[in-house]
Amino acid sequence: MRRLLLLLVLCLLAPGCGGDDSTGSKKTFLIAVNAPFTRTPYVGSTIADGAQLAAEQQGTYHFRVKRYDNGLSARRAVANVRRAIADGAVAIFDEGTGVNASWRLARDAGIPLCVTYQGGQGLVDPVERPNVFRIAPTDHGTAFRLAEYLVPKGLEVALLVDDSSYGQEGEEALRDAFSRNPEAVAIRLTVPAGAPDLAPEVLRARRAGATGLLVWGQPTTIAGVLSAARSSGWNVPVYTPAAGEDPLVRQQLASHPDWVDGLTFAAGRPTAEVGPGPFLAFQRSYEERFGVQLVGVKTPDGFEIVQPPDYAMYSYDCVNVLAAAIDQAGGPDDHAKVLEEMNQISVQGANGDRRGFNERNHEGVVDDDVYFARFHGMTYAPVKDDPLSSTLTAIDQRR
Amino acid sequence: MNATATFEQTRTALADAAREARASWSTRATVFLLAVALALLAPAVLPLGDRMTDLAGFVYLAVAAVGLGYAVGLGGIPSLGQGAFVGIGAVVEANARASEGWPFLPSIFVAVVAAAAAGVLTGLATGRLRRAFVAVSTWILSWIVALALTSFPGISGGAQGLVLPGSFSPTAHYELGIVLLALAMLAFVVIAPRGSGLGLRAGRDDPAAAIGLGVPLPGLRLGVLTASAALAGLAGALTVELEQIADPSGYGPVLSFELFVAVIVGGARTPLGPVVGLLAISALRHLAEEVGGLRGLPPGRLEEMLTGYGLLVALAIGGAGIVPAAQAWLGRRRNRAFRPQTPSARPLFAVEAAGPLAALGLSKRFGNLVALEGLDLDLVPGTVHALVGPNGSGKTTALRAITGELRPDSGSVELAAEPLGELSVRDRVLRGVVGTQQTTAIFPDLSALENVLVGAGVRTTHDRTLRMLLQTPKARAEEAETRRRALGALAVAGLAGEAGRPAGELPAHARRRLMLAAALATGPRVLLLDEPAAGASAAELNGLAELLTRLRNSGLALLVIEHNLRFVGRVADVVTVLEAGRRLASGTLAEVAADATVRAAYLGRGAF
Repeated sequence: MRRLLLLLVLCLLAPGCGGDDSTGSKKTFLIAVNAPFTRTPYVGSTIADGAQLAAEQQGTYHFRVKRYDNGLSARRAVANVRRAIADGAVAIFDEGTGVNASWRLARDAGIPLCVTYQGGQGLVDPVERPNVFRIAPTDHGTAFRLAEYLVPKGLEVALLVDDSSYGQEGEEALRDAFSRNPEAVAIRLTVPAGAPDLAPEVLRARRAGATGLLVWGQPTTIAGVLSAARSSGWNVPVYTPAAGEDPLVRQQLASHPDWVDGLTFAAGRPTAEVGPGPFLAFQRSYEERFGVQLVGVKTPDGFEIVQPPDYAMYSYDCVNVLAAAIDQAGGPDDHAKVLEEMNQISVQGANGDRRGFNERNHEGVVDDDVYFARFHGMTYAPVKDDPLSSTLTAIDQRR
Repeated sequence: MNATATFEQTRTALADAAREARASWSTRATVFLLAVALALLAPAVLPLGDRMTDLAGFVYLAVAAVGLGYAVGLGGIPSLGQGAFVGIGAVVEANARASEGWPFLPSIFVAVVAAAAAGVLTGLATGRLRRAFVAVSTWILSWIVALALTSFPGISGGAQGLVLPGSFSPTAHYELGIVLLALAMLAFVVIAPRGSGLGLRAGRDDPAAAIGLGVPLPGLRLGVLTASAALAGLAGALTVELEQIADPSGYGPVLSFELFVAVIVGGARTPLGPVVGLLAISALRHLAEEVGGLRGLPPGRLEEMLTGYGLLVALAIGGAGIVPAAQAWLGRRRNRAFRPQTPSARPLFAVEAAGPLAALGLSKRFGNLVALEGLDLDLVPGTVHALVGPNGSGKTTALRAITGELRPDSGSVELAAEPLGELSVRDRVLRGVVGTQQTTAIFPDLSALENVLVGAGVRTTHDRTLRMLLQTPKARAEEAETRRRALGALAVAGLAGEAGRPAGELPAHARRRLMLAAALATGPRVLLLDEPAAGASAAELNGLAELLTRLRNSGLALLVIEHNLRFVGRVADVVTVLEAGRRLASGTLAEVAADATVRAAYLGRGAF
């Protein structure tokens, strides 16, 4: 019994007795990744792996990436930021939950907080929140691009959002985006996230005369809407934000691949004007380091499908911006200087776009960089009926 | 009264209080005081800077857990809604501060009142439910609050929560939390062995018996659930102030469950239990996190699993919880014997002059079954009236109709020509009409003395919770008097040497005597005993007969339901025979035995 107790005490003390984080002559700096590793592992691991890959590629400084699970709870997210600061983090990479409170803690500690997933309005404000940056498409940009894409088609769209925070933030963005074209909206519906059957809501949309469905919600909601519409023989076009490309949608509809066909989603573009080269190089590095992310479904001709690491490139880019700012500031110790440099630095992103900020703009992905992709045979490719998307190259997703 | 007299009275009261405090001071009190002092000094001597917010948050959560301990440990209410009350306090506080711009104290007050109001509503809604249904109902409450907070992001702040301006430093929060936690634990210690606390604990062990002794159980349960909810609301509000964010996702069923598990694992019946339970959960979490980190697993992957296994082990080892298990172990190590209490030299009780109790035409039906039909009974002071008859003849129904446990369909009960009408059991106990249960109804987790104190406490007037907490001179004086009466009742029942022993450890005959002692301690004029001699040996029957004779001689009116006709012959002055709810005969035993109707009905079998 005593030995067991001793072992337990040693286990508890071990992490605290590991000496400093120096490796050779390089000092190690901590980057904290605050994300929902337990609640939505795909999002959490994508952010952390992107940051990890960039950290390992740095030459001047040695970064260590530590994961903090926020469990999609704002309170835990804030507590994590507090812990990360206590652990000596030089930056917080955040999925976005709890940022309304945690940014102040980061500001008081003088360190940057970089949002790499959520696009909610108000999270980023260069004046009020000078230490908060974002490299991820904004909800505002996604919603306006969707309106810009759908309204000219003459569709009467049913706007379906779910009651998750993601859905509710989407509703706010969609309200603004469609405010000038109310005639394009057939009906607005809020559906329960995780509901097993969305047939009643889909039927209401159909009876309202909708000729298109715009679903802003969790992947399960999107799969539910597709399932309800297609099973009733309604082959209506369905549009979504980036949640539509989540592997979960395809996994849930694996037995009906044809139901996914035609699903169109809006997301940050993975390739830029320079072509697919940079992104493919990034993808290669990523897959060499972490392996491929299999979706779990196959193409009609039997190929396994992989998920391109498009969201991982945002945290990857953020580390590169941070490293460049630290480099310019002569090290991470002068926090004010690092933050000042964050406002002036620009680096080439994983997809070839320039990523950087200035004093008036802390958004690393411009709204115009939102593109559209459409599924066919469980893989997606940029659409041809949108000027930006039509110039982009499809990323091969078959293995 | 002039100022000098007032001053002198105050001085004397303070001197008495100090003397009593010195007399009752124990090692436990010293340890508690030292622990509180050390906890308060910790931030000054330990490098806790970065962890102070976590520490203060833990202390606030412990306040909510101790609050739940009030409901579970004292009241036996398995509330799975504590997280909802924490959430209500938190969200009200956040809205008052962030949206309305209220100052700190008024917003805290409103948050506590809101949580307490939710506690009152919950108590009213679940008051009559059985424990399993209370657990389910409060669990549903947790879900309702969680879903409501999710559904109304305008109130709860949605996924981003409501952000508050800063108030105090984490260290100030920690110190405040320690003081509140100490006060909450102290209040538990003060309340548990006295007045309402004792009534609650009795109701937890056997609600029917407690109500039978006049304990106002529904009101007490409502009160303890309200207090528990108020403490949870306070903890929630202060946590929001500490963390500067109210997170709607954090106040759902998971928090309720965690607090409940902490209370059960630590030990619900001690104030330290919930705190130790929370510490155990927290330690397991940290251990799991560290082990997961060493194994390279993502955060949270191992945490819940190891925590779950750890809790199972803790429950398996602890049984009633870690703290009671530790106490039992320490008790065995010290091999402590129960200290016999000194019985009072004063007379047991003085039966106040009262007229006879008369039951007039009592009738009661249960569906098609006629349990009582026009029963008349006269219970005269200084006599023992035996009620005999076969099983199902209506004896216990008659007793319950007289004590008020059962409403007769027709007929009335009068004490000294005054109708008792719709008076509750408690009100009848206060008028001196007390009954005991057919089965041996004691409170096994209470000591013998505490069992009797439940009865003795029914007549106290200065044991209101606040007075009890403040230990006012009147409350202390009355407590001492109540204790003397209880010890006297124990002595009369022949249990003076067993005062400190847990009632559950007493032999069967002693338990029946203990039940009688508890009824005697209420100060009855009319005592109704349901089969007091059941299962007694010859020697025990002799002792019981002596006791009943002494009670009769003291002026008490006694009604004894009994099957043992030899025993009835020894103690009864009047015997009434019942059959199928009707009175067959009444008179002395000889008269009844000679009654042709009785003999024809069933006594002819040679019972007399």
